[in-house]
Amino acid sequence: MQPILKVQALSKAFKIRDKYFLRKKFQVLDNISFCLSKGETIAIIGETGSGKSTLAKILAGAETSQKGQILLEGKIIEDDGKRKTSCRDIRLIFQDASKSLNPGITIGKTLKEILLMNTDFDDFQCKETIDKILLKVGLLAEHQHYYPHMFSGGQLQRVALARALILEPKVLVLDEALSSLDPSVRAQTVNLLLKLQQETGLSYVLITHHLSLVKHMSDQTLVLDQGKVIESGKTQALFKQHKSKITQRLLNC
Amino acid sequence: MQLLDIRNLTIELETSDGIIRAVDKISLSLKEGEVHALVGESGSGKSLIAKAIVGVLNSRWRITADRMHWQGIDLMRLSPEKRRKLVGQEIAMIYQDPSSCLDPTAKIADQIAESIPDKGLKGYFWQKNKQRKERAIALLHKVGIRDHTKILSSYPHELSDGICQKVMIAMAIARSPKLLIADEPTTALESTTRAQVFRLLKSLNLLKNMSILMISHELEELSSWTHGLHVLYCGQMVEAGPTKILYKTPYHPYTNALLKSLPDYNKDLSHKHEIYALKGTIPTLQHLPIGCRLGPRCPQAQRDCVKTPKISTQQEHSFACHFPLMTLDKNKRNQKCNQS
Repeated sequence: MQPILKVQALSKAFKIRDKYFLRKKFQVLDNISFCLSKGETIAIIGETGSGKSTLAKILAGAETSQKGQILLEGKIIEDDGKRKTSCRDIRLIFQDASKSLNPGITIGKTLKEILLMNTDFDDFQCKETIDKILLKVGLLAEHQHYYPHMFSGGQLQRVALARALILEPKVLVLDEALSSLDPSVRAQTVNLLLKLQQETGLSYVLITHHLSLVKHMSDQTLVLDQGKVIESGKTQALFKQHKSKITQRLLNC
Repeated sequence: MQLLDIRNLTIELETSDGIIRAVDKISLSLKEGEVHALVGESGSGKSLIAKAIVGVLNSRWRITADRMHWQGIDLMRLSPEKRRKLVGQEIAMIYQDPSSCLDPTAKIADQIAESIPDKGLKGYFWQKNKQRKERAIALLHKVGIRDHTKILSSYPHELSDGICQKVMIAMAIARSPKLLIADEPTTALESTTRAQVFRLLKSLNLLKNMSILMISHELEELSSWTHGLHVLYCGQMVEAGPTKILYKTPYHPYTNALLKSLPDYNKDLSHKHEIYALKGTIPTLQHLPIGCRLGPRCPQAQRDCVKTPKISTQQEHSFACHFPLMTLDKNKRNQKCNQS
């Protein structure tokens, strides 16, 4: 089977300040490759500064890479830093839903903006899609007239999920999206994500430091350290048997 | 000896729609050298309790308690000045978001020096300043920061969250308090730094016999090293007792749900299977249900649940529920016996 997302030798370097007027290169991502099949989840774990979030942003198109390719269903969508298509098929969810939503406009408007930017739906189609997506994530259609401050944390996360899913993406990138939630709300969200995966065959890229979640949700795991892939493999096998010390340290705490 | 002894602490807020009871009759006692944890979701009033103990809640909140004793002294009856003096000496608190709780305009060295008491210092002012500097360095070493020159001369925004949190802990232990209240000290941190902070708190407890009141919403991290656990829901004490017993046999449906929502806790959960979770979300303070506040979400709710359940105690394990899970188990067992 053809993988839905394929990342080949992705690299990125930032230029940071050095002594005097010199600038030095700082390699954030170094030669990263992985494959993700339909309906599967890949977990990316690593310490702070290991390049997890940069990878998420590059996948979603919020930043560009410098070398390497990203292939979606066999088609190249990013080649050596040049993005070819828009962000419709890979969507990103941020850590803090309450900060990533515009507090000044209603949920319905937030969702409609995305449709206006990316599709040529008319008003009626927009409304229909928004109603449908809100029901899908476990909210009511009436919620589109609400402002973000009227929701609780768990509901906001659902809104963020609706915003990501409204364009019917194939891959969803969860950048620490579950870590700031309360345990019971987190369990609800995890259930929702797993249900969506079963129903629609979504693929997830899960970035988190919650190892129990990694164990529960993911099929593959990728361990990053200072921009390099240290270890990768099937989650269960990796948790049982790992070679490097960095993985050992991550899994122990 | 009881260090902290609180009976029926109630915290209320007067609003235009009437009185909101954010914390409802909570009892808590802490012995010297013990680590207790307050667990609950956001909005369950954990931070309010911590702030009420330290006495930093603003005057709009109305605090009443039958008893709030600190080593036999009633904190409620003390004048604000005396209370501040006592609390300042013996209780320290670490806040949730370290990088925003430190003063952004002052260097770390000045901030730590400010928290070092004058009592232990001797000599003229230049000698005192020197001693202060030495103490600050020693404190940083104690919390596991080796590179003290760089840290002391930097501002909070230049440091990572983990280091800021360690600086906060260093400031908190400067007076060597008897009780350390840690209000979600690890929410903003990565897993490795989180483990470091926990190890640090653990060693403080063991070496200095410091009592710690941990406030957290992550059950899994607390299981291994806390002595007692208090589970809160919506400002009501739901269940309390020694951690091990609570983990083994939770009586209250909410504790049970909390434990079951951890994938690590139930071993028979298959990969990618649905996790047990209560339906609905925690109600807002304006719309609290009457009686047992878990009522509308509880899987075992019955008609009696509109009355507030009383706290019943079995040995050290206390819980507030009309239909605790153990009686269900017993009933099932009885049924089985009858059938056989």
